[in-house]
Amino acid sequence: MIHLQGVTKRYGDTLAVDELTLDVAEGEVCVLIGPSGCGKTTTLRMINRLITPTSGRIMINDRDASELKAEELRRSLGYAIQSVGLFPHLDVAANISVVPRLLGWDKPRMRDRARELLELVGLDPEQYMTKYPSQLSGGEAQRIGVARALAADPPVLLMDEPFGAVDPLNRERLQGEFARIQRELHKTVVFVTHDIDEAIRLADRIAIMRDGRLVQYDTPEAILDSPVDHFVRDFVGSDRALKRLVRVPVSDVMDTDPPVARRAATAEEMLAEVKRTRFVYLVDEDGRLTGWLDRAQLKGGCSVEDALSDADPHQVAVAPDASLKEALSRMLGLGFRSIAVVESGGRLVGQVTLGSVEGAMTDSDDHQGAPVAPELDSGDLA
Amino acid sequence: MLTRSPDRVALTGASIALVSVLFLPAASLRPNRLAQGVAHSWLEAGPVLAIPVLALLIALFSAFIGTRAVRGHALSSTGVLLIGGVAFSLGSLSDSLLAKADVIARVSIGSGTWLTLAGAAIIAFSGYQALSDVGRRGGSARTRLLYPVFTLVLLGAAVANGGLAEVSLAVEYGIRTTVFWPAVGAHLRLAGVSLMLGLCIGVPLGILAARNSHVRRVALGLTGIVQTIPSLAMLGLLIAPLAALSAAYPTLREMGVRGIGDTPAMIALTLYALLPIVRNTYVGLAEVDPAVVDAGHGMGMSRAQLLWRVEMPLALPLVFEGVRAGAVLLVGITAVTALVGARNLGSFIFEGLGQAAPDLILLGALPIIALAIVADIGLTLLANAVTPRGVRSA
Repeated sequence: MIHLQGVTKRYGDTLAVDELTLDVAEGEVCVLIGPSGCGKTTTLRMINRLITPTSGRIMINDRDASELKAEELRRSLGYAIQSVGLFPHLDVAANISVVPRLLGWDKPRMRDRARELLELVGLDPEQYMTKYPSQLSGGEAQRIGVARALAADPPVLLMDEPFGAVDPLNRERLQGEFARIQRELHKTVVFVTHDIDEAIRLADRIAIMRDGRLVQYDTPEAILDSPVDHFVRDFVGSDRALKRLVRVPVSDVMDTDPPVARRAATAEEMLAEVKRTRFVYLVDEDGRLTGWLDRAQLKGGCSVEDALSDADPHQVAVAPDASLKEALSRMLGLGFRSIAVVESGGRLVGQVTLGSVEGAMTDSDDHQGAPVAPELDSGDLA
Repeated sequence: MLTRSPDRVALTGASIALVSVLFLPAASLRPNRLAQGVAHSWLEAGPVLAIPVLALLIALFSAFIGTRAVRGHALSSTGVLLIGGVAFSLGSLSDSLLAKADVIARVSIGSGTWLTLAGAAIIAFSGYQALSDVGRRGGSARTRLLYPVFTLVLLGAAVANGGLAEVSLAVEYGIRTTVFWPAVGAHLRLAGVSLMLGLCIGVPLGILAARNSHVRRVALGLTGIVQTIPSLAMLGLLIAPLAALSAAYPTLREMGVRGIGDTPAMIALTLYALLPIVRNTYVGLAEVDPAVVDAGHGMGMSRAQLLWRVEMPLALPLVFEGVRAGAVLLVGITAVTALVGARNLGSFIFEGLGQAAPDLILLGALPIIALAIVADIGLTLLANAVTPRGVRSA
């Protein structure tokens, strides 16, 4: 889909990008990563010709990018950047419709498309269509930046640290949503980041760059298992076993039959309903998580009220599309041995236990055929 | 909501008015148009003086009391009443002074009157401000507009009541009714056309300055130098080359290009309008968030589309701010161009200076001040109107 052939960018005496050759297959997410100044953003901006290469060829869909009119080329490539760059004088609907308007769509079509995209990125169209950028939070602005990039349904998305400017919790959420959207839309994506966790989580292939050169270009698993040199090994970090968890969504390993009880009036009734485990999740009629119950306390003679804890799903649960690493760090942070998995509507769909996390780690190591022992006992989990 | 602290602005206005009423001359009686006059106090105005005095006392009182809305209405109305009362009293004073004097005697407006009016304006303004601050509870914008209308009605009534027409300023106006309004028109035309020319040259120059650092240095440098040349010197500098051009090319002469008159005036005024317009256009464009420009480019907007759909709308409030500054500047400098033979309100000022007739000077100066204020307010409102909704503060 995208093919870079010996692409070089020179600024005076310095080489920003040096003879870069790279192929991005259709429907794949290619993440460009490396230390600052490694040429990753320059590479991205050469693809949509915001920067003109000094030499080399860039082919998009088998057509030489330099032969197209720059404006027309850019309209066919979605573009999202870290600072978002929403137009402050236009409302959200008009901001999303920038490219459709350039392409001459009619008004009803632009409105329908804006609504559709707001729903796709998880914002209520009724509420957001007429807002102005100054009324949005950082996370909302980033979502609208992504919606805007998708507006004209371009086959290719170019994203330059699109989630770089939001807080870690929001970034985690946006990454999950991006992964969901990508599963739906199958765009060809070139994604620049300096966050290795983000790269491992979202990439089909990671291109690690250094001083304008491509050091390693491979799947996240391959890069974690067999880094080509010290630079890549250091860049990926010593907690490679833990990083692997980033690749596994919670929904893959969760126990879909967690211990559940309805809230009942007396301790006996609740104890009767709950047999297996010490902790039991409490749900309402619609299956939404409302809290949990400590059986040990109940047996010890506490009242039902004392043994109950009310749950704020945002605090004590993870989403099905969250990564296993996030689930693990939440469990460790809360001091729990298991954590509830809750859908966006609040419905309890399963639970993840420390045991299942451990299982997932061993699985992926077996799968990759890598040695298990040195990585797991080296204190990575501490 | 009860306000605890007194309204300082209103108190300042009321104090100025009080001191002026008590200690400064309301008017002076001069044996003829040019001779020195004898000062006369407000006390000679007679019973009608009760109106401004009463208004002043209520204003002083209401600066301390009430909710913001009540206080706002009280101050606005007493300010307006004070202006009207001063006008009535001046008419009555002028009547009583002229009754005992010679036919060619003149009554000139004294410092006490001007300062009382200024104090009244401050009181009314502070009340108006308080009403704007409380928003809807201070009445709709249309209700607030009643106060200026009421002021005009009161002034009209004072004129109709008589006496004011014999005040020297009005006499000077009466003599020159046929030339006064054409002079106002000429003044507005000269300043307006020059401002438009400045806009037509300045905005493109500002856009080029934002695009190209060489243009920026030259354009901002040159317009800055122009600004430092005194207006009189500039007009003098233009006379010789324009006269030469006019002499050399008869077609130009037929078009009205001459060393004196409106041609040098318009060229000088256009040059003066350039600096604020070029600078503000440049600053407005330079202040657009680079991320916005990058996003626009990256989405496939051409340079022209980016300029007209994104950058200019965002820069527009600052551009208008430049136009406003230029307009106020030009209304003032236009008066000076009367010296090179452009007929406008400035002509009255220089004529008055020549004849040592202070009231004739005022006949030119007061409308110029009024025009500058109107231009300032009008263009401020326009600048607010063109500010895109998403970037408006509050």
